[in-house]
Amino acid sequence: MKKGLVVSFLLIVCLVLSACNSFSSKDASSGSGTEGTSGGSKKSDDTLNLYFDNDIPDLNPIKTTDSISFSVLGNVMEGLYRLDENNKPVPAMAKSVKVSDDGLTYTFTLRDGIKWSNGEPVTAQDFVDGWLLGMNPQTSGSYRFILTDYIVNGEEYTNGKVKADKVGVEAPDDKTFIVHIKKPTPYFLGLTTFEKYYPVNKAFFEKNKDDFGQSPDKLLYNGPYVLTDFNPASGVTLKKNDQYWDKANVNIPNIDIKVIKEASTALNLYNGGQLDYVNLSSEDVNNYKDKPEFGTQTNFRSYYVQFNLGDSVLKNKSLRQALQLSYDPSTLEKVILNNGSKAASGLIPPGMEGVDGKSFRDLQGDVIKPDVAKAKDLWKEGIKELGKTPKLQLLVSDDTVEKDTATFLQSQWKKNLGIDVELVTKPYSGRLDTMRAGDYQMAISAWGADYNDPMTYMDLWVSPATPFRGSFSNKEYDQLIKDAKSQSDDTKRMNELLKTEQILLKDEAVLAPLYYQGQAYLQNPKVKGLVFHPWGNPWDYKYATMD
Amino acid sequence: MSIEKVEINDESFQPVLSDPSDKEALSGKELVGWRNSWRRLKKNKGAFVSLFVLAFIVLLAIFGPHMNSYTYYQTDYSVSFQPPSSEHWLGTDKFGRDQWTRIWEGTRISLYIALLAAVLDLIIGVMFGAISGVFGGKVDLVLQRIIDILVGIPNLIVVILLILFMKPGIVTISVAMVITGWVNMARLVRSQIFKLKTQEYVMASQALGANVFRIIFKHFIPNSMSLILVNLMFTIPSAIFTEAFLSFIGLGLQEPLASLGVLINDGFHAMQSHYYLLIFPSIVIVALMVCFNLLADGLRDAVDPKMKD
Amino acid sequence: MQKYILVRLFNIVATLFVISTLTFFLMKQLPGSPFDEEKLAALPDEVRTQIYDQYGLNAPVWHQYVNYLGNLLKGDMGLSFYYQDRPVSNIIVDRIGPSALLGIQALIIGTAVGLILGLIAAFKHNSMWDYITMLIAVLGISIPNFVFAALLQYFVGLKWGVLPIAYWESYQSTILPTIALAIGVVAVVARFTRNEMLEVLGQDYIMTAKAKGLSSRNIIIHHAVRNAMIPVLTVLGPVVVSLITGSLVIEQVFSIPGIGSLFVESIKVNDYSMIMGVTLLFSVLFVFMVLIIDLLYGLIDPRIRLAGGKEG
Repeated sequence: MKKGLVVSFLLIVCLVLSACNSFSSKDASSGSGTEGTSGGSKKSDDTLNLYFDNDIPDLNPIKTTDSISFSVLGNVMEGLYRLDENNKPVPAMAKSVKVSDDGLTYTFTLRDGIKWSNGEPVTAQDFVDGWLLGMNPQTSGSYRFILTDYIVNGEEYTNGKVKADKVGVEAPDDKTFIVHIKKPTPYFLGLTTFEKYYPVNKAFFEKNKDDFGQSPDKLLYNGPYVLTDFNPASGVTLKKNDQYWDKANVNIPNIDIKVIKEASTALNLYNGGQLDYVNLSSEDVNNYKDKPEFGTQTNFRSYYVQFNLGDSVLKNKSLRQALQLSYDPSTLEKVILNNGSKAASGLIPPGMEGVDGKSFRDLQGDVIKPDVAKAKDLWKEGIKELGKTPKLQLLVSDDTVEKDTATFLQSQWKKNLGIDVELVTKPYSGRLDTMRAGDYQMAISAWGADYNDPMTYMDLWVSPATPFRGSFSNKEYDQLIKDAKSQSDDTKRMNELLKTEQILLKDEAVLAPLYYQGQAYLQNPKVKGLVFHPWGNPWDYKYATMD
Repeated sequence: MSIEKVEINDESFQPVLSDPSDKEALSGKELVGWRNSWRRLKKNKGAFVSLFVLAFIVLLAIFGPHMNSYTYYQTDYSVSFQPPSSEHWLGTDKFGRDQWTRIWEGTRISLYIALLAAVLDLIIGVMFGAISGVFGGKVDLVLQRIIDILVGIPNLIVVILLILFMKPGIVTISVAMVITGWVNMARLVRSQIFKLKTQEYVMASQALGANVFRIIFKHFIPNSMSLILVNLMFTIPSAIFTEAFLSFIGLGLQEPLASLGVLINDGFHAMQSHYYLLIFPSIVIVALMVCFNLLADGLRDAVDPKMKD
Repeated sequence: MQKYILVRLFNIVATLFVISTLTFFLMKQLPGSPFDEEKLAALPDEVRTQIYDQYGLNAPVWHQYVNYLGNLLKGDMGLSFYYQDRPVSNIIVDRIGPSALLGIQALIIGTAVGLILGLIAAFKHNSMWDYITMLIAVLGISIPNFVFAALLQYFVGLKWGVLPIAYWESYQSTILPTIALAIGVVAVVARFTRNEMLEVLGQDYIMTAKAKGLSSRNIIIHHAVRNAMIPVLTVLGPVVVSLITGSLVIEQVFSIPGIGSLFVESIKVNDYSMIMGVTLLFSVLFVFMVLIIDLLYGLIDPRIRLAGGKEG
């Protein structure tokens, strides 16, 4: 009996030790020396050291839905167009494009000398294959709507109603790629920069179907960099792609990107010289904001309070307007967030395309401006209409920033309207479920743009009404969106979209704007040209340089 | 036990069970024992001082929030992240709320949580463990498998499901803690009873016809008391931080209420730039725990019949 | 005894079955789905249904469970939803190395230091040493270990530059996380050892041993420590399991690709197969640990009989 115990105990020890052994041998082979790992001595001059704040779950361009994965793929692969430093689409795999007069047919001509990392040429057929795989329910993931919403017969193909040859993509020869889209889409070239619009080498894909994109050798590259190492939990390393058509303009030979989830760890590593860039959390901004390395940037992501019009209290418009006008987003920006985010006066983030080179925000101006006196009157009015003083709850996800925002709103409503709003915290998916079920009064919610056009937001509130979008339904709104979608005059189209934002926020008060997301960061002064696109594939290293 | 404390008189020489209803006479001595314990506790300087410090902290938790003009929920965005000053004795947080007031409000909640955890541990944990240990065999097998299953199912799943069905608040926290908070105590008491079961006086007691519950309360629990107290010292802080976690994911108290655990978690995020947000609530919690520990040690020494003094 | 072990082994299988069944059905009650991020939450119901179909998530839960069990018996734990299409077993194998190494190191160091502190405290009862030990133990349990981790990282890693700030690159990078993890173990072991030693040292048989003229070293090793080990083992068992399966916060602070984050993260993103995989790993370790501890009771104190109360 004793012997048996000892043996089993030894067995367990052996098992554990062998597990550790395999790990340390793997670790040793990865080449990091055991000497002098302390301080910043590991850093070499030709490597840019960066990080992501979460895992890199997968790098299958057809399937992935994760923005960190988008960032990696955007640097190792490339679409017909690519966003430049100023977020404008410029020709990449394509050399030029011809758009038909009705705006429904795009004929791309591919560049000469474009190759996959295995030396095979990138052909128009690769685009046809890539896009079809991206719409095929067997191979694609849940992000396929970004293709099927635009391409003729895309949805029908996904639903199995038509065969691949009926879908609006064709490759008459190796260099010509033709796309038929459903409606005139002024931002379509921007879409082709997105990772879901990338080409796929079908022969390679078929060979590696089961683990496509799961390790560096299971993916082909046609972008500025190639992947040399990939571990979802610890990071990726990139090396300059010497097959890339524009390699003369790619400056940094190596990029090492780690996964660092803890903000204070990243800051320590930056201060220790082991990172060239770090995002600052709001608590730390004041200590660093006067340094030359400090900067802020924004992305196309707006936060707002979604009111539920299906609720017996908030179906009252005066009450909604009172809530909307009785807090000051600029205090939220300066004191609570303090991280480069900007106070919102509307839904569409600043910098988003308007018309004639003007941004939507510049054309529209402020839609909602805080006005406490007016809010108090509206509140009284609303209570009279309702016949009683209501109890209110605000739904929020268990995320530090969202909870801080909720606490801020709670305190402002208490101060300005004299009401006690109860916070209801749920895990993220719990909040989504609760909203879908319509079981809420108001909730803090957000939307990140899929493309550089206000339609990416405005399209969300069209009929049929859903509880998730506050059960809002408005005929005038629907008509404006419908017109805008088939409008070929860009100025008229923009005017229609400007009007929809007015309806949504001002006339109907379905949302209360909070802020446009941004981030405060520190960046090694030697590093220049590190581009963060506010939508699409966020991080772009192609233009980066290092002294 | 020193000689002079043993009282020898005629009663000592009575037959023990001359009359079955006389059983209580044996426990008559207990009173002397408890009084003795209190005397010994008073002699233990560490324990006695911590009793006072503890009382002081409790008083602060009661009166602290009223000692200045602020409330725990009052925000002032012009004074966010102020270091300690004569205006705000322990500084302010991101929302410009007074930390002094918030810390003592938080202490109230955390003390309540500590008490709750201790009671649950004592009632459920000790009884579960005792029954499992005393009966052994099949009963033990079944009860221990229940523990295995409770530990095996990821707690977070159960907690998230609770969020869906219950209103957040103290009651919900209590329910969440009931699920597994007592498991370690049960396992410890069980192991202790396995050990005690083989002792001669237990067999003697059995031989004299004492029933199971009498043995549990008369012998097993008093003799496991020191172990129970030590384990409580681990249960309490872990309950305080469990509460903070539960509050974060939405099961516990909602803003603007905060417990010590929540304050420490928030302070951690700001520790590089605003150390005072982390240090002060930590000091309170450490002070509480040091006092609890010294007191528990003192109690242990006082209660334990085997201790010499 | 053999019979008892056989019964226990049978019990383990049954327990694991119950745990995995309950976990599976409870997990399916969680809000949302593996595809619940902002974009997809906004999709119309038909589209989401279509995606669920693709992964067989629309089938009745019991049906899904039978499928899962069938695959499990074939040794297939399924594919992760979050780490798109990677086998769960591969991910666990990849990630357990760092966590297990840290856990075992922390366990060894923590137990050794804790034992020494506990013994000193017991022999110098109510002395300065005793109070210092207790203070260390109290700090170890009442300050969350991520605070220690952050302090170690800031001072030892950044300010003094002696050890790596973070990452999992060389043996040096295991030192700080090990220390941060070990503090809790030290607290537990020191506190229980001290308590048990005080208890045991007061027992008659120690007196007898002393009276018989045995040296104090002998007494301590053969009698006192041995008996003091029972509660220490009891509390340490679950600690060992949670150490091996990793600590979310420590791994996050030191940016270590361990298994600790999988437990919480997989539940957050509804990665069903991963939740099951990690739960099974944890439960298997736990039930075997409990069995080992129960058997060790008997080895430490041969009078202890688990098989039944009566025949004892």
